[in-house]
Amino acid sequence: MNINATLFGQTIAFVIFVAICWKYVWPPIIAAMAEREKRIADGLEAAKKADDSLEEAQLAFDKELNKAKVEASELIDKANQRASQIVSDAKNKAQDEAEKILSSASKTIENETNNAKEELKSQMSEIIIDTTQKILDQEISPEKHDDLLKKAAAEL
Amino acid sequence: MAKELTSSSYIQHHLTNLTCGKVDEGWTCDPHRVEEMGFWAFHVDSLGWSVFLGIVFIVLFRLGIPKLTTEAPSGLQNFVEMVVEFVNENVRSIFTSATNPLIGPIALTIMVWVFLMNLMDLVPVDYLPELAKGVGLEYFKVVPTTDPNITLGMALAVFILTIFYSIKVKGLKGFIGELTLHPFGKYMIPVNIVLEGVNFIAKPISLGLRLFGNLYAGEMVFILIALMMFFSSFAFGIMGIFLHVGWALFHILILALQAFIFMVLTVVYLAMAHETEDH
Repeated sequence: MNINATLFGQTIAFVIFVAICWKYVWPPIIAAMAEREKRIADGLEAAKKADDSLEEAQLAFDKELNKAKVEASELIDKANQRASQIVSDAKNKAQDEAEKILSSASKTIENETNNAKEELKSQMSEIIIDTTQKILDQEISPEKHDDLLKKAAAEL
Repeated sequence: MAKELTSSSYIQHHLTNLTCGKVDEGWTCDPHRVEEMGFWAFHVDSLGWSVFLGIVFIVLFRLGIPKLTTEAPSGLQNFVEMVVEFVNENVRSIFTSATNPLIGPIALTIMVWVFLMNLMDLVPVDYLPELAKGVGLEYFKVVPTTDPNITLGMALAVFILTIFYSIKVKGLKGFIGELTLHPFGKYMIPVNIVLEGVNFIAKPISLGLRLFGNLYAGEMVFILIALMMFFSSFAFGIMGIFLHVGWALFHILILALQAFIFMVLTVVYLAMAHETEDH
């Protein structure tokens, strides 16, 4: 176990290996690690951004949804109003129409009644006249009623 | 081997490196001529494993993942990123006053490389040496970090870097001033040099010897457990298996911890070299 030139041999070997490590081993590994670190940091930041924008979008969505809800309820109210108006309009119209029909009907009935009455009157008078004529034809003979006729003629 | 196997020869065998060096006739790897080689000898086994495991580190961390994905990582990339992240976090928490793009790679290299070298300690002590014997190598030490040359070699590199950055950040004047004008001011320069010099030199030496000592001790325990299984009765052999497993499990902790400590201290020393404010 002597101290000999092995000492310097090892020193030279050490310097050579350190040089190789310095030139070829250390830099690529450190660079790869640094790049990965950067990529991870970027990824995390992007994820955070995406999270934020998602939240924003959620907020906007909620806002839009509420707006839409309000609009919809307004529309429904309006529609209801309009519907009830239409119904009430229709009702009024129908009532008017009904009244009109009723009045025209009653007028017609009145007319018909009058007509019938007239007809009846005329028929009755005809019948009466007919019957009267028949009776008169039997009863009245010129001889019997001569003076009567004369009287009538005189009256004329 | 012709020699009879004894306890001491077994241990000695496990603690001897495969050494190659220059003798009068030229280069040789003869284990019997190590004394002749003097300082200019190389522990071929330690250096070989050390370089091989360094290549394993490069392969694992670069060639193993040719396509780095920035999507969710999987498999090896996952593991690599985990380690790099861990190292980077440590470096950042220690290096607060200055930035230096070289510190991260240094820390990563040290931690993974030292850990891999320590990990060789978990290979049962006789496997690889016996294999080496098969190809004719008499001595073959497997764990590089049980060789003080290896740990002190790395500490030396860290020491040089510390001096380099001290001078670069504070200037030569500032660096010398730091060594001479503390802690007693300019009238006590000799005392200051002794105190600060010891402090300065102790850092790399303790850095290297700490790792060496921990791993050497761990390796020694493995060798002793193996020794017990070889030279004792069957009952001791069975016990040795449990001891080995237990020590290996416990040792995993030490392996990782020592690699981590070596890395942290390196970063701390380098951070201190970058600190400009006066104490």
